[in-house]
Parts: sequence; C-alpha cells; structure tokens
Amino acid sequence: MASRDQHGIHPPFADADGKRRFGVIGKPLRKVDGIAKATGQAVYADDIQLPGMLHAKTLRSPHAHARIVRIDTSRAEALPGVHAVITGRSMPIPYGVIPWTPDENALAVDRVRFIGDEVAAVAAVDEDTANAALELIDVEYELLAVYLDPVEALENCTDAIHPNPKRPERGNLSKRVELDFGDVADGFERADVIVEDDYTFHGTTHTAIEPHCAVATYSPDKLLTLWSATQITHYVHRALARVLELPAHSIRVIQPCLGGAFGGKSDPFSLEFCVAKLAMITGRPVKMLWTREEVFYAHRGRHPMRLHYKTGATKDGKVTAVDAKILIDGGAYSSFGLVTTYYSGQLLTGPYDFPAYHYDSTRVFTNKPPCGPKRGHGSVQPRFAFEVQLDEVAEALAMDPIELRRANWQGEHTKTVNGQRITSNGFMQCLAEVERASRWKERRGKLPFGRGLGVAGSMYISGTNYPIYPNDMPQAGIQLKVDRSGLVMAFTGGNDIGQGSNTVVRTIVCEELGLEPDMVRVVAADTDLCPVDLGAYSSRVTFMVGNATIDAARKLRHQIAGAVAAEWEIDPGRIFMGSGQVFDLEDRAKCISSMEAFQIAEARCDTLGSTGAYNTPTLGGDYRGGTIGASPAYSFTAHAVEVQVDVETGRITVDNCWIAHDCGRALNPMLVAGQMEGSAYMGLAEAVLEHHDVNRFGLHAGPSLLDYRIPTSVDTPELHALIVESLDPEGPYGAKEAGEGPLHPSIPAISNAVFDAVGIRLRHLPFTPGKVLAALRERRAAETAVGSAKESV
Amino acid sequence: MRVLNLTVNGDATEVAAPAHWTLLEVLRYRMGLTGSKQGCDKGDCGACTVLIDGEPQLSCLTVAALAEGHEITTIEGLLPAHLRAGGEGPDPVQEAFDRCGALQCGFCQPGMILSARALLSENPAPTRDEIKAALSGNLCRCTGYTQIYQAVELALAEATGAEPASPSWAPGENPWAKTPEGNARPAVGAAGLTEGTGVAPSGGDSRTNGKAH
Amino acid sequence: MLRLPKFEVAAPQTVDEALALLAEYGADAMLMAGGTDLVPNMKHGLFEPKLVVSVSAIDELQGVAIEDDGTLVIGAATTLQAVATNDEVRRRAPAFAQAAGLVAGPQLRRMGTVGGNVMLDTRCQWYNQTHFWRKSLGFCLKKDGSLCHVVEGGSKCVAAASNDTAPTLMSLGAKLVFARRNSEGQVVRKTLAVDDLYKSDGAFNKKVAGDELLIAVRIPAGAPQHRGAYGKLRDRGSIDFPLLGVAVRIDLDDAGAVADADLVAVALQARPIRLKKAAEALVGNTPGKPGWDEAVDAAAEAAYGQCHPMPNIPGDHDYRREMVPVYVRRTIRAAVAGEGPVHHV
Repeated sequence: MASRDQHGIHPPFADADGKRRFGVIGKPLRKVDGIAKATGQAVYADDIQLPGMLHAKTLRSPHAHARIVRIDTSRAEALPGVHAVITGRSMPIPYGVIPWTPDENALAVDRVRFIGDEVAAVAAVDEDTANAALELIDVEYELLAVYLDPVEALENCTDAIHPNPKRPERGNLSKRVELDFGDVADGFERADVIVEDDYTFHGTTHTAIEPHCAVATYSPDKLLTLWSATQITHYVHRALARVLELPAHSIRVIQPCLGGAFGGKSDPFSLEFCVAKLAMITGRPVKMLWTREEVFYAHRGRHPMRLHYKTGATKDGKVTAVDAKILIDGGAYSSFGLVTTYYSGQLLTGPYDFPAYHYDSTRVFTNKPPCGPKRGHGSVQPRFAFEVQLDEVAEALAMDPIELRRANWQGEHTKTVNGQRITSNGFMQCLAEVERASRWKERRGKLPFGRGLGVAGSMYISGTNYPIYPNDMPQAGIQLKVDRSGLVMAFTGGNDIGQGSNTVVRTIVCEELGLEPDMVRVVAADTDLCPVDLGAYSSRVTFMVGNATIDAARKLRHQIAGAVAAEWEIDPGRIFMGSGQVFDLEDRAKCISSMEAFQIAEARCDTLGSTGAYNTPTLGGDYRGGTIGASPAYSFTAHAVEVQVDVETGRITVDNCWIAHDCGRALNPMLVAGQMEGSAYMGLAEAVLEHHDVNRFGLHAGPSLLDYRIPTSVDTPELHALIVESLDPEGPYGAKEAGEGPLHPSIPAISNAVFDAVGIRLRHLPFTPGKVLAALRERRAAETAVGSAKESV
Repeated sequence: MRVLNLTVNGDATEVAAPAHWTLLEVLRYRMGLTGSKQGCDKGDCGACTVLIDGEPQLSCLTVAALAEGHEITTIEGLLPAHLRAGGEGPDPVQEAFDRCGALQCGFCQPGMILSARALLSENPAPTRDEIKAALSGNLCRCTGYTQIYQAVELALAEATGAEPASPSWAPGENPWAKTPEGNARPAVGAAGLTEGTGVAPSGGDSRTNGKAH
Repeated sequence: MLRLPKFEVAAPQTVDEALALLAEYGADAMLMAGGTDLVPNMKHGLFEPKLVVSVSAIDELQGVAIEDDGTLVIGAATTLQAVATNDEVRRRAPAFAQAAGLVAGPQLRRMGTVGGNVMLDTRCQWYNQTHFWRKSLGFCLKKDGSLCHVVEGGSKCVAAASNDTAPTLMSLGAKLVFARRNSEGQVVRKTLAVDDLYKSDGAFNKKVAGDELLIAVRIPAGAPQHRGAYGKLRDRGSIDFPLLGVAVRIDLDDAGAVADADLVAVALQARPIRLKKAAEALVGNTPGKPGWDEAVDAAAEAAYGQCHPMPNIPGDHDYRREMVPVYVRRTIRAAVAGEGPVHHV
C-alpha cells in the first residue's frame, strides 16, 4: 500500500484553537444532481437524441436451448427503412465480465441458451420499422435438451449448455469451490448443540426503474462513442475493444445519468455491442432502448440457491463449527458467477468468530435468464440461511438471539477463520442500537400471538482487492483541475448510479480545499475525460474513490497553501482554508478568497491540477481464491424487524424495520440513510413479495412490473435508519460502505420475527402467505400430536 | 401523421405525430420534454406520470391525440410556473425532494413529484397514510420511500410554518430545521450541472452529455 | 419502448357520432374509455383495431345522477376515482364505491372508468403478455392459438373476469344501458342486467357485440337497511388486479335480521360467480345474535365448496381457494358493521 492510500480519520485542518473540525463532511448536504433530477433536466441514456439517429431492436430466441442451423436476414434487409441487420457472425468474439469465463456473445453465434437470448439486431429509421424487420428474419433452430432444474442439469447432462470438448465431464458445471478452514470435525465434536437444516433462496431481480439503453456514434476518423446506462464504464470499454476489434483508445464510453442499477447494469450487455456495430455499419447514430420485458430477460439478478447448513455451538452459545453445502442456479451464462460462487462461502466469516468452517459451493448452468450480481452479491443467500440457523441455535439453548450474537462477536482488528483482515467493527453498537430502538427487551417474546420481533446481523465488503482482471494499476483514479474563476473540476471514473458518489467526491474536495459546494463540479464516468476507475460494484466507490479524492486534493492543498504562505512570507502551517476563504490563522486580517488563492498559486506554480489514486493493500488468505472477498474494510449491520402475521390469510406484514449500520463514518448522513433504507426495503421485498422465475417452458413467468411485484409505498414498512460510526483507519475520514450491507439482515430478521410471532420457522423463500399457512397447519398438527401424546400418558 | 394541438406547461403547441403515439412518446421524442420517464412500457410503474387538468395520469397509456383540449403539466413545467407565480427557485415540492435526499437515481421522481404536487394541491394537510396512498402508483426502487415521505412532509411544514420532524438518522441537529446547521441553503445553484452525471445543458437539437461527439 | 400498433383515433362528441363510427368501421373499430386496459392490451398485440373510438368527450357518458326513485345513474365514462369519492355513491352503494376505490392505483383510477371496468377484458397469465412471449409458446386459445396452457387439452378459454366493480354491481342488481345502431340506422337502446352481460367464455365473456356502446350503469335504490362491502385479495396494496374479489349485499329487516343477501365473487373464472348458497345461509339470521357466527361460517363453507380457482391468473390457485371462505367471512362482517373494504392495507 502506498502512502497515497491512507489519509487518517481526521479533518484536514486545525483551527486557531488547534482543534480539527470538519467543514462539510458529516453534513446532510444536498446532492450534486438533486435539483437537475427534480426538475427533469437530468439527461439519461434514452433522453439523448442525435441528428439522424436510427433505432435498433433485438430478435430474441423463442427456445430455451437450441442450435442455430440457419439465419436468413434477406427479407428484413429488403424492408424499406431498414439500414442494417446483424447476427452473431457479425461479432463472433466471445466476452465475459470475468476474463476467465468469456462465454457470451453479443448475439448468439451458433446456440441459444434461454428464451430471450439475443439472436439478431436491426437498425431502422424508427422503432416500428425495426420491429417489423424482426418479424422478417428467418431462423431455423434445432432443439436441444432443456435444463430448468440445477440438479437435473448437473446429474443428467446430455446436451451441455456450454460444451467443453476438452473437459466433457464438466457437463453443466459452471464453477465449484470447496474450502476448509480450521478443524471442522473437532468443532462439531466439541459442540453441545448442533442444528442442521435445508434452506432455499429464490431468484429475484434488480428492477431499476430505468430500462437499459445505449446510443452509439461512429465518426469517419474512427472514433466510437457509446453512451450507455452502465454502472461500470471501464469494463464496457474493455469489452467493446475486444469484441469490435478496435483499439481501446479509439473508443469513448460515457455513462449518462443512470436510473438505478443495483448490480443489474454491471455486465457488458448485448445492446452496447449492437448499437456500436450498427453505428459503424450505417454511419448513423444508433439507439437501442430495451423494453421492460427485455430487461427481465437480461436479468443478472440474485442467484437461486439451495443451501444446507450445519452449525455447532457450546452451551454458552459459542459457535464451534459451520459446514455449508450450496447449489447455485446460474442460469445460461457465467456473468460474475466465478465470484458469486466464492462469495457464497467467503463472506460469511463475520461479524461472528468461528474456529472451523467448511463450504462446498457449486454453480450450475441452466437454460434460464443468466444470474449475476444483485446488491449484496453472492452473500445475501448464505446470510439468510445462517442467520436463521443462528436463531435456531439460540432457541435450542434458550438464549436471547441478540445475546447469542454478542457472544460470538469477532472483535475489532482481527482475522477471520478464512484469513480475511478485519479492521474497524461496530457490530456490537449496531446490536445495541436495534435492541434499544425496537424495545427488544420489553417486547421480544412478550408480544401477543401474531406479533413478533426478530433480529439478524451481517457484514459486507467495501470493495475488494480482486480487480476482475489482474493488474497492478490503481483501482481508483481522479484528477482535479483548478480554474482562475475559483472553480475546481473533479474528473472521476467512478459511476454515480444514484447512490451519490459524485456528491461524495465534491464533498471531499470541498473539505480538503476549504470550498463551498457550489465551487466544485464533478465530471464522471467518461472514459475520454476521466481517469480509470473500476466502477460502481462491490460497494467500493466511497472507500476507494473517496481515498483517491483525498489523495488528489491534499496534493493541491499543499501546493496552494505553500504558494499563499510564500506570498505572505509565513509558515504554510498557518494557512487555513475554509468556507471559500484562505487566511492566516495568526492574523485573521490576512484573508483572501479561494479564487485569489488559486490565482496566487497559478502565478507561482503554473497551471494547477493534481491526480490522486487508491489501491488496496495486500489482503486475503494464502490459498486459491483467498483474495476474493478480501476487503480493506468491512461494514457491519444489524436489523430488528417487527412483524404481524395474519393467521387466517398467512400474510406477513412488516410494520417496522430498525436498521443499524456501521458505515465507518457517515460522510453525508442523509445519503447514508438513503442507502440503508433502500437496502432494507429491497431485502424485505425479496422476502415477502418478489419472485423471478420461469414457467414450465422456461419462459419468464411474468416479465413486467405488473407481475414482478416490487413494493409500492403502501407495501413498505416504516424504516428507521440508525447510523453507527466505527471510524475505520483506512477509509476516507474513516468511512466504509453503506449501499449493500444493510440489505442482508432484512430477510432472516423477518423469518426470525415470524418465529417470535407465531412459532414457525420459515426456511424457504419467498415467504408467501400459502407457505405461512402450511407451516401454521403443520405446527398445529404437531401440537395436537404432542397434546394427545401427553393425554395418553 | 396528425398535427396535434397540445397545451403543455401553459403553452399551446402544434406538434406532428402519428395517431398511434402515446402522449409520453410525443412529449419525449417530438417535444424534447424528456423529464417524463418510461419505466415499464404499459402503465405499471408511474414514471411517466403527468398532470392532466391537474390530475396525475399516465402519459404512457394516453393516446396523444386524446390529450388535445386538456392542460398538460410535465415536470419541466413546475419551476417556470413557480417563478411566474412570483416564487423563488423550484417548486417547493421539488426543493423538498432535493433537501431530503429523496432523489437517488431520480428516474421515478418526476412522476413521483407530480403525484405529490397534485396531492398537496388537493389536500393541504395529508397524513402520512394519505401520502402513502397518493404515491402508491409511483414505484421507486432506490429510497424505500422514507425520504420521499419526509420530503412531502417537509414541503407541508414549510407551507404551514411548522417545524419538520427530525429523521431517525439525525438524533442531534434536525437537518431540515430552520437553523444554520440545516440544509435549507442550496448546496449548489443552477450552475452545478455536471457533465458526468448527464445533466449538461443541451446544445442545439442534440442532447448529449459529452463534449466531443 | 413497447409500441402501439398503428391505428387512427376518433373522439366523437355524441353517442350518435360514436355509433356512426362503429357502424362504419364494424369489426375494425374498438371503443376506448380510459384506455387503461385497452392500451396495454394493444401494446401486447392483443387488439389491432384500425380505428379507436374514444368515448371520453361524450358528455352524456359523464357524471353521477340520482333519479326520483333513488336509482343511481352513473355515466359509463365517469372515472373510478369520481365514483369512489362520491358521497352519494358511497352511501347508497358502498360495495361498489369500495371496489372502484381499489381498482389498480391512483393514476389509473383517475383515467379508468366505470364502463371500462364493467367491460374489462378477461385476464390470464398466458394471455396478458407481449407478442414475443405468446408466440414463444405457440399462442393460446384466447388469442391466435388453439392450445390452452391453463387446462391441458382444454377447448374452452378460462381467462378470468378480473373487474372489481362487476361483482358489486351484480350484487346490487344493477342494470346497464347500451346503445347501438340497428340495420335501419336508427339508434336503439337496451337495458341489460349486469348478471346477463357476462357469460362463461374467457375468450369473450360478454353477451354484447362490438357495435354496442355502454351508456350508463343504473343501480336501483337499495333496501332501507342496505349493507354492502367489497373484499379484495391481492399481493400488493396498490396497482394489482384482484386475485380474488368478494362482493356482499345484505338487506336487513326491521328486526335487524337478514331479509335478503347476495354474494358474488370475481377473479375465479370467466365470469363473476354468484354464491347463492352462501347468501341463503345468511337469510333469516340476525347479526350479533345467537346463530349468526354459525351462519357466517356456513356461508363461508358454501362459498368454498362452490369456488375452484384455476391457475389462470398469477398466484397460487390453491391459496386463492383457501382465501375464499376467509374473504367471504370478513366481507360479510365488514358489510354488517358498515365498514370495508376488506383489503390488507
């Protein structure tokens, strides 16, 4: 780790009294783009209209698994208004977001793998003409065996979805990871209680309200420009260069304002390649906007998992060993699946300490829309199973579930069983906060039948040191340009996807240079203008982009303060910068505006600017895959939820959710709370409403916002964000992530609350009213059986 | 192709469009009023909500030709209307959404803000349950709705002079109180449009957010 | 964006003009009120009319009136929001007002109309989908195909009546006024009981032709001690169509006993179904008096015996069946208490 990567937790300036105070950090400042969004001025991908722009549409496979025998596009090409038709042969080079698994094509080359897989694309004068042309493309398919069930896909593979001639024995296996830490057998040997059970996590999807959209232009001097609703500009850039066989320097990728992502815009997508290729062929700008239905086919959502967990504990509640076996339904392509498979095991090892851990995770290809990273990638599913199982351990030991979790806390500045370094850890305070706010002690186990409280905890990464493609360059880079007008421009490759990362950049620049918010503007996610950043995923942005911003701004501060000090012939330590002014701490009469200070510095030092960067320290366990999930800092969360169960209808109503989250330091508490509330909402929705599934034909069961039921306002509980600050030694001013961690505990906390309410254990998602009724019936039957047994005694 | 006579944001406008185009398509792709968003294609999400004669309706299900003779208000119309009425800056509802952090990705918010605007015009003192009910046709995927309710309640409090409630995440200073510590002062003016967030002022007919194209 | 097929649009000002257009275009014309059902259906390629005839500009189709005998007359193009919030409608026909207030979400109730809800197309998870989706499965009985995906080997469409107001109007004995042009070109009107509008064919569940225009809904004055409520099962508290709807009308006599009752359920099969035995179980019993709880249970049991939801609309049909007695019980109780609707939020 370079010195640029660590900046401490303190404000940059000491005031005259020697105390350090933040100027803007920690304040609920408005967002850089709030008013633009509120007034309809913000420009999203589909808002871009270019002169002469063509509209493109995609032909999709109606078959779940088939070989493409022949494609005839001649009738489509002959339709007036059609400018180009492309197929898989137009762009045969495969790609994949993970370089080790390039198993996707922009358009299917010889095989389709799910209903909705992309087969051809048309550019025409308008959408109606492009749609009409799709109907004129003749495709001959040879049908192959269809695999909808992962067990079936693994055990009875005759037509592998991704044939591997060198290793045919792999069949439909996508990835398997088995890792063993500590002495698991001994752990179970020492246990006073062992709980073992099966759990199911269903499929869910991101459902950003903005559908995917991309626009491309190609100029005769061979510059390709792509505007795309992506959350990772850099990987799209790399994938375009590879597939289109263009030098990367002749491609510019720009992320316009983004209407939500949640992981669903992380992969390079077919439409990005298609509009680029169609623009190159036609010489016209080309736009493709996916319909909502197409977004459901593109998916990359939460992997369905079948999980088997076994946990041992001593009678004082200390966990002695955990053993997990997980089957992961991957859908048709790899996507981030290699990482998913690791994450399903790697990210369980906090906030609790356990001495022995074994997991065995297998990802399988099936003929369904491909799964990928959704908020809390790979770890939401095992967290659900484990946190429910911990409640079962508490029940078996007659322990309070919060006390059980306290008893197992791993502590700060420690190491997990799988070799991950833990720095700050505010989990105990999170537990205390939800215990207090939910009035746990007075109410848990004491509410009337039908009402209950449940708790769960979790941890998550603030980015990892695994940069998708191996390289030694920084993970985050930033440039600052200082203008004589008093304006500072920040150029960041980071992707603001609504979470507010540009606001974080601006706030940090303001803090370091003592500026008012309107003196800093941010340009982001434009590969021509901004240094490379690895994008908005793995909750890496605040931590990594934040540190890079401090790095760049501190260099500038030294330069400007040095110049002003030289001008005033005083020690640079006497220079204070704040609220748009620069003054001498020992002589307040010496005071100039930031703009004047910039001009003094520019005169003395030439044109002003700086760069900043961040890279992770060396982290991770010393084993294959040990760096996956190795984060420079982990966030911690606890939720308490309050539910009502209607025992006649089986409906679970979540009334309240208290979300305590250790984000290190809240650089902007309002934005942190927004992430916490949004995360909790999304988890609650997965638990009780949403289900992304296919029907018996492999066709998406209901690809619309009517049939895929995301909660409305009246379906969402009261959410109470409780911020915990542990001040991480390596985070920017101590900050860690807040955007994904707070989703995890929602789901198990509901299951645990339902147990408190009506005494049933829900282990299989989603918690539909029908399942609740069935479990209630089972419980009554068991009680009756016990009752009659007692009578007979 | 028909020539439609539409009254949008107070202006009578002639615009040519095929008869089968929806109002959303005409607003976005013929008139350049791209503030109304398209999320679901068919009336399930509320992102395309506009006010028709003051009532929140879905422009994606409105055949444009049938909007003739009605007053259409889009998100772009609120700020100018507020200025015309002698107000400062954006409509108080827009301002409150910004102050409360209710705009994450912002995609659902034009529709959400118009539903909220209509509610406050119709009911000067809605309860939280009434706010929830009135917004229940506008899906938001980012916020969990909490900061949206807080924004509507802040706009209400500002209108009545009442003290807004403090959020759970601010046990100390109330960020929305009328104190210097609050965020009533705009963090950034109209000049704060940034390129990378796609909010560049448009140049000519083409709207992009990069310099070179 | 999902596109509408090409069509022309007309917005006649009078019933006569509208009927003239229907006569001229025949099967190529379709009536549209709020468009909240027809427009998505057209985007899905389910209907491709050459001419869409909007009835929104016809004054005669607007508004709520009360005739001397207490009959409520509701113009077919009156919005659902308008009736749901109309004090007279709420007082005289509470079940109907409640049902109108639970249709879809706030914006759609301001667009959607009473007539549109009465005339709503039946719904099915295999039908309310895009052209691509339906084509992938070789289409279905209701549209473009010869297979039923709900009932394997089925030859009759079982798409479900999904209009919330229909069962309430049936329970209230409402009548519908239709107008059409006869072969001589004269405008003739007919009155049809709501009961007689629907038939058990999911492909098209109405006994009127495409050239007939619904003018008004007439709800006769209720009994002096009229009670009514609507219960709606759905996943979310807004936007969604019913997974089950139950309308209850109870008329009490002077002694407070049930003199007459009617229960109608929707979102089960192609037409709303009258729960005759359930209603009979209530008659003669007095709310709050001994025997009442048993009567309500008997009504619920009878409804359960009669209702057999199919996997036509989304959701677990076994669960929907299980909810029949629950919603029948709860909606009866709400009606008697002057409460409702029965809805989870």
